[in-house]
Amino acid sequence: MIGTLLLAILSPSDTIITSSHLIDEVVVVSAAGEGRKRSVKGLAASIDEHLAELSHVDLVRRGSYAWEPVVNNMATERVSTTIDGMKIFYACTDKMDPVTSYVESSNLQSILLNSGLNGNPQSTGNIGGSLDLKLRKAGFGGESLFSSKTGGLGGGLVVGHETNGHLQVYGADGVVSLPRFYTNVGVFYRHADNYKEGGGRKVPFSQFQKVNVYDNFGFRLTEEGNDVVEGTFIYDRASNVGYPALNMDVAKAEAFIASLSYRHQFVEGFLNAWETKGYYNHITHVMDDTKRPDVEIHMDMPGKSWTSGLYSLLTGTGGRHEVQANYDLYYNRLFADMTMYPGGAAPMYMVTWPDVGTLNTGLAVNDRISLTGRQTVTLTAKWAMQWQRLNNEEGYYALRVFFPGMKDSYNQTIGRIAATYQLSILNSQLSIGAGWGSRAPTVTEAYGYYLNNTFDQYDYIGNPRLKNESAVELNCAAKFSIFSSQLSISLDANAFFFSNYIIGQFENRLSPMTVGAEGVKVYGNLSHATMVNTAFTADWKLLPWLTWNTRLSYAIGNDDVGKALPLISPFAYTSGINCQLSSINCKLTVKGNARQVNYGKKYGETSTPAYAIVNLSGQYAFHLHGHALTLRAGVENLLDKRYSTYSDWCDIPQKGRNFYTNLSVSL
Amino acid sequence: MNKKVLMLFLAIASLGLVSCNSNDDETGIVIDGIDLTSDVDCCSAEEALQVYRFIQTVHIIPELSTSVDGKYDVWAYTKTGTLHRGYNDLYFVVTKKKSGNYVKNFNIKNVTPLMHMVKMDMWHSTPVGGTFEVFDTTRPAVKRGWVSLLMNTSDAGNWQFSYDIEVLGSKGGVEKQAINVEALPEGQDWLKNFKVGDDTYFLSLVNPSDWKTGTNTIQAYISKKSTPATTPYALATETFTIEIDPRMPDMGNHTSPDNVALTKQQDGSYTGTINLTMTGLWRIHLTVKDSKGNIVAGGDDLKDGFSSLYWDVTL
Repeated sequence: MIGTLLLAILSPSDTIITSSHLIDEVVVVSAAGEGRKRSVKGLAASIDEHLAELSHVDLVRRGSYAWEPVVNNMATERVSTTIDGMKIFYACTDKMDPVTSYVESSNLQSILLNSGLNGNPQSTGNIGGSLDLKLRKAGFGGESLFSSKTGGLGGGLVVGHETNGHLQVYGADGVVSLPRFYTNVGVFYRHADNYKEGGGRKVPFSQFQKVNVYDNFGFRLTEEGNDVVEGTFIYDRASNVGYPALNMDVAKAEAFIASLSYRHQFVEGFLNAWETKGYYNHITHVMDDTKRPDVEIHMDMPGKSWTSGLYSLLTGTGGRHEVQANYDLYYNRLFADMTMYPGGAAPMYMVTWPDVGTLNTGLAVNDRISLTGRQTVTLTAKWAMQWQRLNNEEGYYALRVFFPGMKDSYNQTIGRIAATYQLSILNSQLSIGAGWGSRAPTVTEAYGYYLNNTFDQYDYIGNPRLKNESAVELNCAAKFSIFSSQLSISLDANAFFFSNYIIGQFENRLSPMTVGAEGVKVYGNLSHATMVNTAFTADWKLLPWLTWNTRLSYAIGNDDVGKALPLISPFAYTSGINCQLSSINCKLTVKGNARQVNYGKKYGETSTPAYAIVNLSGQYAFHLHGHALTLRAGVENLLDKRYSTYSDWCDIPQKGRNFYTNLSVSL
Repeated sequence: MNKKVLMLFLAIASLGLVSCNSNDDETGIVIDGIDLTSDVDCCSAEEALQVYRFIQTVHIIPELSTSVDGKYDVWAYTKTGTLHRGYNDLYFVVTKKKSGNYVKNFNIKNVTPLMHMVKMDMWHSTPVGGTFEVFDTTRPAVKRGWVSLLMNTSDAGNWQFSYDIEVLGSKGGVEKQAINVEALPEGQDWLKNFKVGDDTYFLSLVNPSDWKTGTNTIQAYISKKSTPATTPYALATETFTIEIDPRMPDMGNHTSPDNVALTKQQDGSYTGTINLTMTGLWRIHLTVKDSKGNIVAGGDDLKDGFSSLYWDVTL
């Protein structure tokens, strides 16, 4: 998990990210910054595959599309996800649409991860960490990231194919980059049929299709170029998405994302820049069980989410300080309902998210202080207030059955504060950090209504009386380089001590709604819980063209009585040999998990057996008629092992052997 | 039949449109078709307005409306303008023909629905609420009572309705008026009976169509079959408790928590609490206990584990 640390430190030219073990970034598109993390599949990789490159990140798979990022073994509830600082909230009560599924690789420059409480300024409720999806902006003439360094016209194409599931990827984009105006627009399309698990058996309902269209643009308002207006528009539509781990699929998952920002660059003085962005997004999510055989009761389960907000970020540098101050405000509405159609009888209707309006406003300050050339202290703090109102009366009265005294509006105050101290001596770096943070219960946790969870087969009911969850985080990291930096070894650990940990608790008094469900759980606060994540990384430059790297990680999560929490990664390892010969790059990777020993039996989890797979990948970059081309090819799960990981929902098997090839062209 | 054309309403005093109408009555209330001139027998303008507003929420049953002595019109209402199997609220309003205003004092008596069983050529009555009374003091001219009709009209049998009315010394009524009783749609069954010894009791569930998802008050009446059966069935004098177990048969017999058994109230009705977690068909399984706690009806566990005595309500 600390490849991060090494990468960050080994590439001092990296100006986007500060060198901290708490920050990680995966590059989606960039000509520069070799040595930084990127997917072996390049731009053709899915957002999920890009996310998988990040340290601290695991992915929960419910199918071959829309995986849910888990940071430090904490899922969506404890992770903040923003798109270029914009808040966006998923619209499916069954978490079939983590917000990362509403963007496409071509929309992004990179994905930035802040581990733990040390969140980016716009994030709230990020106990586990925060992800910010950085949009790809062509930039003004001369700053273009594309082959044409002088600006003007440009563009790119990407075509890819994977044999397993017959996955097809097509992308095209065009760029206009002038000194006072830029725009980059693109289309992206993916289509996949059912994939085959190791051994060759088809996994039914694992298909998907996705279209994405986007545009980014910017104007310089003045000749000097210190005032910039930028805008973004993304339309993303996934259709016919299968979820083999669930009882139903998705007919449509559609997002519309738009923003407009104004940035002023200060020429002199303490302040660097002041950016204010207004944004709006809405998501429509429609589930579909009509294609499933043996459906006992056909159901319609649509969900809607829309968010509107703004943030204003001021950055400054002076003396030893690098300061960021941010104000943000957003309003989100979440509504979902369910209609069940028993053959012949009257339909049954319930509101599963009672049109909850959340108004949240917060103030964040980050300060990075260079004490000496060797010592740095980073301080981050955020304070936010939140008001929630249940706008749907039917949903509100239904919840009142379970919580007779509940109100139709609630408010919460949340905050976080974290500090990190970093010391560099000779060939080693040391870092320690501590923080405290809290989060408000999510809409599902507070007001969700009979949400069936196929993982443990329980119906979940929200609890409006939940207390805020909070955690104290301690983290440390150490890195040593020896043999003239030929070998670097890092250790990285963090621990979270939770108070009022929110989790579904058995409520035997209640009867499940879903046919076949085991029972009902109501969200409740555990007085405390503990989570520890550790990682060891070794990178060895055996020869100038040959490197070997290994990463081992282990995590523990325990509830208030010392029982294992669910969905905590078992011992995991990755080991790879990478060889770089001029424009050819090859990589052989072995990765696997040990048997899951500490699994959340109490919470309905079963143990996942050990597995190991072998991946091979290669990349060849060349020029043709003045265009830069990159050909990537490889094979995943070379030995066609049938396996599933601890985070595969209901143990759905992973892909079997899969050959991929893709070609990207810069025009 | 007369329609309620006589009642079109506008309260427009605040708009300054008050004409030199003697209806004015200081309050500025004007109801089209009603002379609100002070009349001790009738409603004040404010009361008349309340009655008028109430009438907008119900519908006339033409068959049960009549006139008395050529001086008064008697209007019978139900929520839908029809009668259906099971419990029906029945409202009466009397107007003076001359002024159109609502008469405050009148008595409805001897409400007697009779069913003619065609095959056997036999007659029987049905549960009827004791007296027809003012149920809301803001509307002193509306009297309410109820009938719970055992069956709907069909080839097997049909209904006749009678009642007596006394208005300010004049007498009248309706005598053996044929009236249609509609069946309830599929998934609605609001009237059940049980036997204790030789006595037959009827369980009439009150207006479940008003229920919504969430917590609802559940009200019912227990009536006892009369001898002879042509006498309207009065409320049972015994005290029972009705335990309820609401289930959704289409949803694997899903149930809701914290339901409260129906217990006898001062007005003779039985009241409890029912929680409904969603819309759809709810089968409310019943266990009726006597005052000593002995089960007298229902509470038998059939092979599905539930009582055979139940009401069906579809939300």
